[in-house]
Amino acid sequence: MARRVRGVIASKNCDDPIIDYKSVEYLEKFLTPQGQILSRRRTGFCTQCQRQLKKAIKRARHVSLLPFVG
Amino acid sequence: MTQIYEGMFLLENQVVREGWKEAKSYVTGMLEKHGGSVKTARRWGERRLAYPIGSNRRATFLLTYYELPPEAITAMRRDFDLSENVMRYISLCVDEVPEGEQALSDAELDSSYVAPEPLADDAPDPSDEAEQEDSPRGDRRGRPSDGDRKEGSTETKAEGATDGAEKPAETAEAATTEAPATEAPATEAPATEAPATEAPATETPATEATTPETTTPETTTPEKGEA
Repeated sequence: MARRVRGVIASKNCDDPIIDYKSVEYLEKFLTPQGQILSRRRTGFCTQCQRQLKKAIKRARHVSLLPFVG
Repeated sequence: MTQIYEGMFLLENQVVREGWKEAKSYVTGMLEKHGGSVKTARRWGERRLAYPIGSNRRATFLLTYYELPPEAITAMRRDFDLSENVMRYISLCVDEVPEGEQALSDAELDSSYVAPEPLADDAPDPSDEAEQEDSPRGDRRGRPSDGDRKEGSTETKAEGATDGAEKPAETAEAATTEAPATEAPATEAPATEAPATEAPATETPATEATTPETTTPETTTPEKGEA
């Protein structure tokens, strides 16, 4: 039985991702309500974009644009 | 050899209230002290922090692009770490200054530019308030009472029980026109009428009829969260 992937936010949409720590509203889409970073399976990003996303979110957390928790 | 950096500095609102130009020149002066040349520096915004830093819940963000010899980074970092005006900062290597950044920075240099006054530390974010107003759930709760208030006679306004803003004005008017003894029944009377204002239950289905379209996305989002 094929595994269903539900709730993919950016389905292989890595063409023009504006992954920047300053674009807070965009990054918020890739966080759970608890503030955790969504997995690649959920975001639908490729490896490189997921790494950029991780870095951008962590930078945004450092300057208190995004929460660490909650 | 120098490298272009992008720097974001979180300035304490207390410092910004004393003068935005002074606060900005504090950062740019610090960068120039270490042999850097500031290309652009502008106010990126004033917003509520995602988590409190020290006792601060809000901060003003300064976005700069500057050129600095890489050897000076360590000394610069130490200075900003020790600084009390700068709560946090981040500096990243970039290839070039983004387009449009220069124009935004120049606009701030104009003599007519006045930086907005930072909000109080416990003030809610204006964007959050707008979101709350737009949310359908909030509308559903607020709509019947709002509608009643608009459609209702002056008696419903005289209640002032639901809206605190109207209360002082109404009481002030009452004090000038009527004796305090007459005021008491005026305040009590709406209490009996309050069910009457809520009674138009016929209106609520009308509001509910409109909301399902808006509520359907809400029901879909938890599924995403559960997935």
